[in-house]
Amino acid sequence: MSRQLYLVSTVAFWTIVLGFALASNLWNPSADGAAKAREKVISAAELSRHSTPQDCWMAIRGSVYDLGAYLPDHPSRPDVIVPWCGRDATAAYETKTKGRPHSPYADKLLAQYLIGRFAGTPGS
Amino acid sequence: METPAIARIIDLRRLSLPALLLAFVGAPVVWAFPVGLPFWRALGIVLGWAGVGLLLACLLLMVREVRLAECLGGIERITRWHHGSGVAAYLLLTMHPLALAAAGWAESPHVAWAIISPFAESWPVWLGWGGLCLLMLGLATTFLSRLPYGAWRRLHGLLGIGALLGFGHILQMGISAGALLVTAAAVLLLLWRALRIDLGTAAKPYVVQSVRSVAQAMVEVSLRPLAIPIESRPGQFVLVAFFRGPRYRGCGEFHPYTVSGAGKDHEFRIGVKALGDCTTCMQSLEAGVAARVQGPFGEFLSHLPARPRLWVAGGIGITPFLGYLRSRPIDQPTHLVYLYRGDEDAAYLDELKALADRSPDLALIAQATGAGLPDLAPLVPSTEALVDHECYVCGPPGLVKAVAQLLTARGVPGERIHFERFDFR
Repeated sequence: MSRQLYLVSTVAFWTIVLGFALASNLWNPSADGAAKAREKVISAAELSRHSTPQDCWMAIRGSVYDLGAYLPDHPSRPDVIVPWCGRDATAAYETKTKGRPHSPYADKLLAQYLIGRFAGTPGS
Repeated sequence: METPAIARIIDLRRLSLPALLLAFVGAPVVWAFPVGLPFWRALGIVLGWAGVGLLLACLLLMVREVRLAECLGGIERITRWHHGSGVAAYLLLTMHPLALAAAGWAESPHVAWAIISPFAESWPVWLGWGGLCLLMLGLATTFLSRLPYGAWRRLHGLLGIGALLGFGHILQMGISAGALLVTAAAVLLLLWRALRIDLGTAAKPYVVQSVRSVAQAMVEVSLRPLAIPIESRPGQFVLVAFFRGPRYRGCGEFHPYTVSGAGKDHEFRIGVKALGDCTTCMQSLEAGVAARVQGPFGEFLSHLPARPRLWVAGGIGITPFLGYLRSRPIDQPTHLVYLYRGDEDAAYLDELKALADRSPDLALIAQATGAGLPDLAPLVPSTEALVDHECYVCGPPGLVKAVAQLLTARGVPGERIHFERFDFR
């Protein structure tokens, strides 16, 4: 009984894992949106005008993301993340718990909200 | 003899293992229960912590301590639950990453794969994969019953390493208090098992007092304590490892043997039949060889109700019944069926016949059956004769299964058919 359970579950596990890997490789969404987003340059002044929970842009690692729609889903308390709206949040992104950066999963998730390149603050 | 008070304690002990598992699974799940997360991500987290709880319970159940075994209903029951909780933990832990990937699927297939991809440069993910793959390999070898015991034991150790990598995965996730607690508990249990059981520091020192041949390829070994002795009841078994003597070179592995008799000054005897490499080597055991003894374990004849009894023994399976008959006069009508291959294999037969001659309540049927399973129908009492009997069977697994089926067919309720498995793999 245990042996059959082990065999069935192991085969099912690898089948589903391979399914995820294949789907990821075969999935090819239109890159137009991302390409356009990479072209748009956003200044620090423009970034700072989007600093509320409902209209929240953040600059992270040189790119700007519109995270207004995502904020309600973020695992941490609002008072941890909302102060970073309208600012360069790279430092916060790289030092989550005990100085660790966010996960690769978070990186992929973040890419969905890309709206432009960050021009940076004058002199930076 | 079993009294109502003892029966109540036995009933309570039956609840001990389900209660233990419920606590081990419930505590981490309640502590880490996610609130406000999407369904699949929350499910992934719950599956992970439930798997961790089952894995910890599985580690606890591999610790063969005498008192713990008694509290939890005997080592045979503990071993069954150890296997069950291990497989259940494996099932939940394989579903854990799949549920997390399913959570990412809502965003895109890229995100789903990024969550579990072993190619991501991330220690938490690498440790998770390492732990899961070692659990997979370790469990695969666990099911290979044809492997020699030594090789099987070493490969089974992969499960312990896999469990440790899994706990490292949790620590890397930055879940501090809970992760530290479960990791510390896992390390403690693995060390406990390795030091006290595998290295034998919990075992008591004995020395071989005498060895005598009792049948073809079977010896009875008498052991004398060198320090604090064990206190065994008839029907119980011990784990014994023999070391080196003047000429004997033992394999040093702990193997289970039923106590076949007790002597003065806490000596006890075990029957050793040549069934594998190690036990074949033991046929040349000699007085003076050092041994280490763990136990006693088992409850096979510990709670005998005041009813007529049927005892069925196959080969070496005669030892618990012999141990009981040697220890005390029987006080209930007892029907002992002793089956062995050939006359040269009939260990203790003369002694059993003498015991039956002296005891009017003991009826002995001894029969050579040849290789293979005999026709049991004429050897086991009829349905009418079995009414109100308590039945005990000890022998090779095939014989135990066949006798249990025949007794069931003859109307004996399942709770009155007793047997113990000696397979601790």
